[in-house]
Amino acid sequence: MNGKNNFLYAPNEDESEKASNSYILSLIALITGFPIPLFNLVAAIIFYLGNKKGTYFVRWHCMQVLLAHVITFVINLIVVVWVLGVLFWNFNLTNNFIAFIITAAVFNLIEFIATIYTAIKTRKGLHISWLVIGPLTDLFVKE
Amino acid sequence: MEQQKVDMFLMSYGKYFEGHQLMMLRDKLTTLDDSKFLQLQAANLKDPTTLLIVSIIGGHFGIDRFLLGEVGLGIAKLLTCGGLGIWTMVDWFLIMGRTREINMQKVQSVLY
Repeated sequence: MNGKNNFLYAPNEDESEKASNSYILSLIALITGFPIPLFNLVAAIIFYLGNKKGTYFVRWHCMQVLLAHVITFVINLIVVVWVLGVLFWNFNLTNNFIAFIITAAVFNLIEFIATIYTAIKTRKGLHISWLVIGPLTDLFVKE
Repeated sequence: MEQQKVDMFLMSYGKYFEGHQLMMLRDKLTTLDDSKFLQLQAANLKDPTTLLIVSIIGGHFGIDRFLLGEVGLGIAKLLTCGGLGIWTMVDWFLIMGRTREINMQKVQSVLY
């Protein structure tokens, strides 16, 4: 994570609150809809659409959350399908399966911690750009 | 408008607007004609905190959106049971900001 305050401008109190809310919402959605991978993604999309006319800082952070959820959704969906396959459709319990489950769990844990950290920092007006997802967000969000 | 009236208005309704809008609002109100003060008070501004409480209690039925005057979104929320709970949850975070936006739009319709 790149935690330097290198954003184009210093966001005001309201912007910081809205941007931080996008991370908090993502945590709540994660806890509420834990076994269903789609739940977080839909919540992030609705939140982004709600803030579509917001300021650049708010839109940027909403998009970062949204992109993170797209990646998490794909990974978790594969996990769910694979686990269902092993349980009900006679898929083999291979080493690849166990490795993927562990990788997915670690990824989810890292995202969970990063979300908490970013929610706290963003509330203070700091701009936190995540690895890979941050530069991707720059491409998607126009000033 | 008299400075005293402007201050009174901002004291009563300050939390109904975004923090960064208050300075601009104060300047605009100071130059506003006295005859528009009654119109301003009749603008039916909504309290963001009240809307948050309504959203928590009746969000599943879209009551918060109906109160804001967004009837279309209210009906959509009602028919989908608050977007299967997801939209309701998202609105807990969005509704206060949206209320302040709508309040500002109402005031602007009086100002301009």
